[in-house]
Amino acid sequence: MAAKSPVKEPPGTSAVNPTTPLAPPPVKPELPSSSEPDVVNVPSYSRWFSFDSISECEVKFLPEFFDSRSPSKNPRVYRYYRDSIVKHYRENPSRKITFTDVRRTLVGDVGSIRRVFDFLETWGLINYFASVKTLKWEDKETKSSAASAESSSALKETSKRLCNGCKTLCTIACFACDKYDLTLCARCYVRGNHRVGVSSSDFRRVEISEEARSDWTEKETLQLLEAIMHFGDDWRKVAQHVSGKSEKDCITHFIKLPFGQEFICKESDSEDVDNKFFSINNPSDAVSESENVGATSPSKRMRLTPLADASNPIMAQAAFLSALAGVEIAEVAARAAVTTLSDVDDRASKGSLMRNTRQQEAGVASNGDATQNALARASVDASSLIEKEELDVEKAISGIVEVQMKEIQDKIIRFESLDLQMEEEWKQLEQVKNLLFVDQLSVLFHKSNARKNGDRTEENVKTDVS
Amino acid sequence: MKLPATSSSKAPVKFRMPTADNLVPIRLDIETEGQRYKDAFTWNPSDPDSEVVVFAKRTVRDLKLPPQFITQIAQSIQTQLTEFRSYEGQDMYTAEKIVPIKLDLRVNHTLIKDHFLWDLNNYESDPEEFARTFCNDMGIEDPEVGPAVAFAIREQLYEIAIQSVASAREIKISKKGRRGAEHAISSKGGGNALDLMKLFRYNSSVVRKRKEWYVYEPIVDILSNEEVDALEAREDRNTR
Repeated sequence: MAAKSPVKEPPGTSAVNPTTPLAPPPVKPELPSSSEPDVVNVPSYSRWFSFDSISECEVKFLPEFFDSRSPSKNPRVYRYYRDSIVKHYRENPSRKITFTDVRRTLVGDVGSIRRVFDFLETWGLINYFASVKTLKWEDKETKSSAASAESSSALKETSKRLCNGCKTLCTIACFACDKYDLTLCARCYVRGNHRVGVSSSDFRRVEISEEARSDWTEKETLQLLEAIMHFGDDWRKVAQHVSGKSEKDCITHFIKLPFGQEFICKESDSEDVDNKFFSINNPSDAVSESENVGATSPSKRMRLTPLADASNPIMAQAAFLSALAGVEIAEVAARAAVTTLSDVDDRASKGSLMRNTRQQEAGVASNGDATQNALARASVDASSLIEKEELDVEKAISGIVEVQMKEIQDKIIRFESLDLQMEEEWKQLEQVKNLLFVDQLSVLFHKSNARKNGDRTEENVKTDVS
Repeated sequence: MKLPATSSSKAPVKFRMPTADNLVPIRLDIETEGQRYKDAFTWNPSDPDSEVVVFAKRTVRDLKLPPQFITQIAQSIQTQLTEFRSYEGQDMYTAEKIVPIKLDLRVNHTLIKDHFLWDLNNYESDPEEFARTFCNDMGIEDPEVGPAVAFAIREQLYEIAIQSVASAREIKISKKGRRGAEHAISSKGGGNALDLMKLFRYNSSVVRKRKEWYVYEPIVDILSNEEVDALEAREDRNTR
């Protein structure tokens, strides 16, 4: 089977190869997979996968193969299932394989094959397309957001808006594009689940505030605070104590209260609160990730790619929640994260980071685009820092090059002077040769005269010689 | 080395598949609203029953069958499982039986005919392993053949196991004691045990006679499309 596969990865480096294409995650979520035949996309949370070994992740999720309870379920059999399923998928990665295809080709009992298949599918090792909604976390998110939706009315004027992308009710916040007359819920906006011609920057954020529906009077706020002091994290009891507000309302109102309460977040019962706090903690991770990756360019369109990246569930989560939670909270959280990060670096870069943040904010504000948030700004800062460094490096390189050139020039000059000297000496030599020749001639001439004139020539020679 | 028949019948063993893993062969053949769904696979009876419905839903979704199939598939699987489980408490006599297993199946374009002996008492035997080796050795490229071969072997072993349960019951019923036991065993699928006797008599060798070689040789044929169509038509006619 491997011989036929056009997406064969070179053996031995299979642990590395599937993940390297994903280090900058695919920007356009509409494309299911890359166009090169030798590249297979694997999500970064499945980096542990390797054909040659079994990771503890697999042991944890599929213990039946590893606890030697049944003689036919052993690691070898597990690897046989896993490897054949993955190879079968990778023969044609743009096609979704079904469990039935696979189980017909594998020898073994269908129950265990199904479990292995489901495991591989949830971890994105098979049937992994950027637009497929198979992640467990996202399913939970849609359930919780759908549960909070109320009546479905499609009118745009009312506060209830239906998303054009996924036809669900928009809660808390949605994104409206006036150019093309579209409304998207936060999820679809983050995913980029809109028509091809529309760019993410054409949308503006429209807050559907729950407080508009139910105002919090002083009395209720006081009750809320009392209840929280008494009951701590038990939101059910808090909701009971506060008359007329549901759990969710209490929690959201509490978060929006203008203390620094949002940063004091540890345990809480409901999923929702977890997720909101998670989003505050997460932008710090997300920012550090984006700084490390540093692949975004400062163009306006690209600024929103961290939001549009839905393939990494952590990033998608952070993007979605920051879009939901609003600019202020996300901004504050990201700023906090950024300051913490810059404490690690030296002071100089910290100062420049702050300056850049402010500059970028000014630039952003002047654009008047309300959908910018601190995540995007932080990534812009990171990219500007990188540019500076690049410039420095370039300068250094050009300096070195200049010095080398000068050296060469000096050498050339020296050689030229040497050459001149040589020429002069050569000329002198020639002259001396000529003189010598003249002398010899004259000697001969005199010799011949002397033979005719006897002693006189001898005397001449003698006087010449002396 | 003479093996007396009487001492070869051991004490009754609890019913189970005489293979290393206790998997049940399940065959599905459901027809609703003009659509026919035929399938065969192995099931692990220790999986919870909820698994049946999950599997049925998954299969219907993957094959895009109409939803009525879900209940039918689930029911069919359940019936076969309960049947299997009903045998589980009972005893079966497993004499030292080496049984012949015949393979005669067609999977897509591959036709397989084979005939070999299988030791029923070997509870470590693994039809899946056999199928894998068979496909590797015969160089079969179609990956669906392996499971089909394993399934065919398992099905036949299952049948034999059921028969031995039935024969064990008969032995209990019959009052004739040992003689009856021998008679019962020999009459019900015990013809194979006799083979064993004949084979291992002291004056015959273990090596198969040359004239019998062709019987036991595996035949793997790759069919062309027309032959496949012809065979399918014949099969349909037979089943209707």
